[in-house]
Amino acid sequence: MDLSELERDNTGRCRLNSPVPAVCRKAPCALGVDEAGRGPVLGPMVYAICYCPLSRLTDLEALKVADSKTLSESERDRLFAKMEEDGDFVGWALDVLSPNLISTSMLGRVKYNLNSMSHDTAAGLVQYALDQGVKVAQVFVDTVGLPETYQKRLQQCFPDIEVTVTAKADALYPVVSAASICAKVARDQVVKNWQFVEKLQDLDIDYGSGYPNDPKTKAWLRKHVEPIFGFPQFVRFSWRTAQSILEKEAEVVTWEDSPTEEDQVGHGKITSYFNEGHRTRPRLPHRYFQERSLESATTL
Amino acid sequence: MESSDEEDVVKYRVHLRPITLRNAAPATLHFLPCEIPVNRPAPVERFFTPAIRQGPRGLEVSFRGRSLRGEEVEVPPSLVGYVMRMEEKGEVSGKQDFPEGSEDEEEQELLEPPEALERDFDRFMGASASFSRFTVWGLETIPGPDAKVRAALTWPSLAAAIHAPVQED
Repeated sequence: MDLSELERDNTGRCRLNSPVPAVCRKAPCALGVDEAGRGPVLGPMVYAICYCPLSRLTDLEALKVADSKTLSESERDRLFAKMEEDGDFVGWALDVLSPNLISTSMLGRVKYNLNSMSHDTAAGLVQYALDQGVKVAQVFVDTVGLPETYQKRLQQCFPDIEVTVTAKADALYPVVSAASICAKVARDQVVKNWQFVEKLQDLDIDYGSGYPNDPKTKAWLRKHVEPIFGFPQFVRFSWRTAQSILEKEAEVVTWEDSPTEEDQVGHGKITSYFNEGHRTRPRLPHRYFQERSLESATTL
Repeated sequence: MESSDEEDVVKYRVHLRPITLRNAAPATLHFLPCEIPVNRPAPVERFFTPAIRQGPRGLEVSFRGRSLRGEEVEVPPSLVGYVMRMEEKGEVSGKQDFPEGSEDEEEQELLEPPEALERDFDRFMGASASFSRFTVWGLETIPGPDAKVRAALTWPSLAAAIHAPVQED
């Protein structure tokens, strides 16, 4: 899998695809959608689609594709290579969402949560296949969140396609298994060859599985926390694990949209309106200075 | 500005080390849309600078997992930017303050007579860097022409105008 484009710039997202087999533009196809790297606090999330003509599903099954989680890394690599060999009837496409994109989306002023991101990415990949001329007749998706709402959402996007969203789709449908293998192979490769944007000193690449509950991953996070910048962009800042390490071991950062103490405790007691007490207000500077955040340098 | 108890305010006489203004090396500055209530060095060159991208809509970077959009702001003509640093009490400045002869009038004005120095309330500050431009970053959006800092840069020329002597007709 050629991920050189991603290695050049891994701060955003990157789409990667096989050539579209000619037969997939003529015969109705089944298309599977699956993801890898949803849970980890490190590295990208990879979405993949895999498709083949309905008439060739048995050939795909004959490759003995299975849910990527039940396969070893070498088995996944071998199966992906086989799918490449069968490029005359099996096609795939990937969307790699960098950890930086995940962080900035989830921590945006308008929060874009991981489920919505997942749903939109999946829909984007199905649309991509349609744009390439693939005759998609059926779509099978391993669910993220409630299958009913996800199914409804996808069915609305693609009214002419028969959409099936279900849990364990990666074990039930070979096209979904194939997609899960593509996603997992890509994710593993990206994580293994991660090009750190930052110039890090004594970088330790033994970060474990990347899952928040992995002690190796936790130790890696603690080792690489930087008091001002926090973590390298390889880390998903929006993850609870990352946030709690930052709270303990990095400097506090306050943004203009951070909740203030006033927001949290309300605006004081109602009796304060009847109090004659503190009537002396600080003299505010002229609006000209307030609008420019200019203050007299009374302290240094 | 927070302190309303006048008694708590310690008064200092602040002296500028004029020679530091001439020797201040140009620095790259980033103005972030957040507050970090500490004063300490940060590895900007290792963490921040390499992550800056030129996007279709200006400069892009992220800080602490939040997306920033930035643009360059020039210091207005006739002004110079300095990063000022207060010397710790008792800290001995490596550079002597009174180089022979070469003072121009403005600097002469800033200098205190030598015997006035090093009293309890004397503090010294000097420029640690200079700049003629800096990058202003906005949270998810380009700060744009209405950015507070741009408006703030118009104050020196207004201040000069309102403090200038009025010519009588």
